[in-house]
Amino acid sequence: MTIPEHQTPELRRKNLRLALALAGLAIFFLVTSFPFWSGLFKLVGNQAGQ
Amino acid sequence: MTTTTMTHDEAHHHETPKGWRRWLFSTNHKDIGTLYLTFALIMLFLGGASAMLIRLELFQPGIQLLDPDLYNNLVTNHALIMIFGAVMPAAAGLANWMIPMMIGAPDMALPRMNNLSFWILPAAATMLVLSFIVPFFPGGGTQINTGWTLYPPLSIQVGMSMDFLIFAIHLLGISSVLASINIIVTLLNMRAPGMTLLKMPMFCWTWLVTAFLLILVVPVLAGGVTMLLFDRHFGTSFFDAAGGGDPVLFQHLFWFFGHPEVYILLLPSIGVLSHVIPAFSRKPLFGYNSMVGAMIAVATIGMVVWAHHQYTIGMSLGAVTYFMIGTILISIPVGLMVFNFIATMWRGSMTFETPMLFAVAIILMFTFGGLSGVMLAVVPADMQYQDSMFVVAHFHYVLMPGAVFGLFAGVFYWLPKWTGHMYDEKLGKLFFWINVIGFNITFFPQHFLGLAGMPRRIVDYNVMFTEFNVISSIGAMIFGLSHLLLLYIIIKTIRGGKKAESRAWEGAKGLEWELDSPPAFHTWTVAPQIK
Repeated sequence: MTIPEHQTPELRRKNLRLALALAGLAIFFLVTSFPFWSGLFKLVGNQAGQ
Repeated sequence: MTTTTMTHDEAHHHETPKGWRRWLFSTNHKDIGTLYLTFALIMLFLGGASAMLIRLELFQPGIQLLDPDLYNNLVTNHALIMIFGAVMPAAAGLANWMIPMMIGAPDMALPRMNNLSFWILPAAATMLVLSFIVPFFPGGGTQINTGWTLYPPLSIQVGMSMDFLIFAIHLLGISSVLASINIIVTLLNMRAPGMTLLKMPMFCWTWLVTAFLLILVVPVLAGGVTMLLFDRHFGTSFFDAAGGGDPVLFQHLFWFFGHPEVYILLLPSIGVLSHVIPAFSRKPLFGYNSMVGAMIAVATIGMVVWAHHQYTIGMSLGAVTYFMIGTILISIPVGLMVFNFIATMWRGSMTFETPMLFAVAIILMFTFGGLSGVMLAVVPADMQYQDSMFVVAHFHYVLMPGAVFGLFAGVFYWLPKWTGHMYDEKLGKLFFWINVIGFNITFFPQHFLGLAGMPRRIVDYNVMFTEFNVISSIGAMIFGLSHLLLLYIIIKTIRGGKKAESRAWEGAKGLEWELDSPPAFHTWTVAPQIK
């Protein structure tokens, strides 16, 4: 059975939309829940200043 | 709860794919569920073997078999294999098998992503096992002696095996997040008409909450280990005090993931109990709505109390008080769940088949583990107990009954549905008793060892701890070997046995029991109507 057989195009779009929103949430937590980027920018800034 | 106008599976009986392609390219939720469960069983034996080696070493004081670093490497690998390799994939296996059948959906919402979520796992497991093996080779560096918490600065100094481990954690995290997204989308978008959220089977609810927890906390672990990787190789100092970093930051990131992870492991098993106990009590689940509320409360509070794992790092009085009170508060919704299970059994027409035996054992032993958890939540007491064998006893009493026994209950409960055969009840009960007695002989004495001052994660111990360690090690051998019986029962059931009816258990309720046993390759291609 292929996917379209049990999912209408509308349902498939709805599923993909929600999946992308959840992936966005996961990425948001990855990026913002720790000072990774600020530390990285600081490092790059320090190296640029040397 | 829910009823349906369909009385029989009216699925299209497409031809089942054959050979290795069936498994490698599968997008069928039942096949992927089987893959997850098989993978988890293999990892259970791998993690169990490392645990038995640890207990063999601790059979006597002094160093018998393992040097200290190898001992700690085994401790690290045992934890990671059991958590990420055995328990989480097993729960995902149950979810894959059961969720679509329970909600009247033909498959998971994103079947191809489902395939990817599983097939990342063997690659991750390979990296995980390599992290253990690499130090044995010339140039392989030092053993991972950090424990599963991977605290810096030690984890920055460990050899290249740590890089394998970090990569394995990344892969495992990706797999978990993809599977969680799939489960949430399936549960929110693919339910049969008429099945409102509050008519959804409790196992589905537990997985909905678990999947959200995974999406929220796994990326933080991924971030933490990525920063660790940068500290190791790219000259950053996130956790290196010499460069202005703070090793305690890693502890916060790790436990922001690590504490909710406990509930990630527990909740699917709570979901299994919510089906097993009503089925064998022949009564509906007591307090469905309050169970849902309690679960959401556990997940919410569980996300904001992580630092009770770090009482000894030197937090302010206000901070430790907050984390202590928050942690103790969790016992309220957990207590409510236990109350609901007991109230479900109350005046029920109970029978004690293997899944129900596990359910009753879980209520008793998980409550016991929860009580020692309240002891550990109290700051001044924890100052004494921390890093002792008491902690080891506590979390094994929480996780073995709370997570693993729940999964065993689920496997025994749904095995007739999956295979079409009833398992051998006598052997099932024999497995239960050997397993539970072995477990208690192993871990109960560890409370006394911890209270007497035996530290954990140390290969040697004072001779005064010998007797309880001997008892614990003998129990561990009984407990470990009992799983061979589980394997035998599963294989025997797959190969044959008494034919299972559609509703394999007299008191079982739900859409999944309206399908044939075993169900057709494709089920619910015509959605049932829920009244």
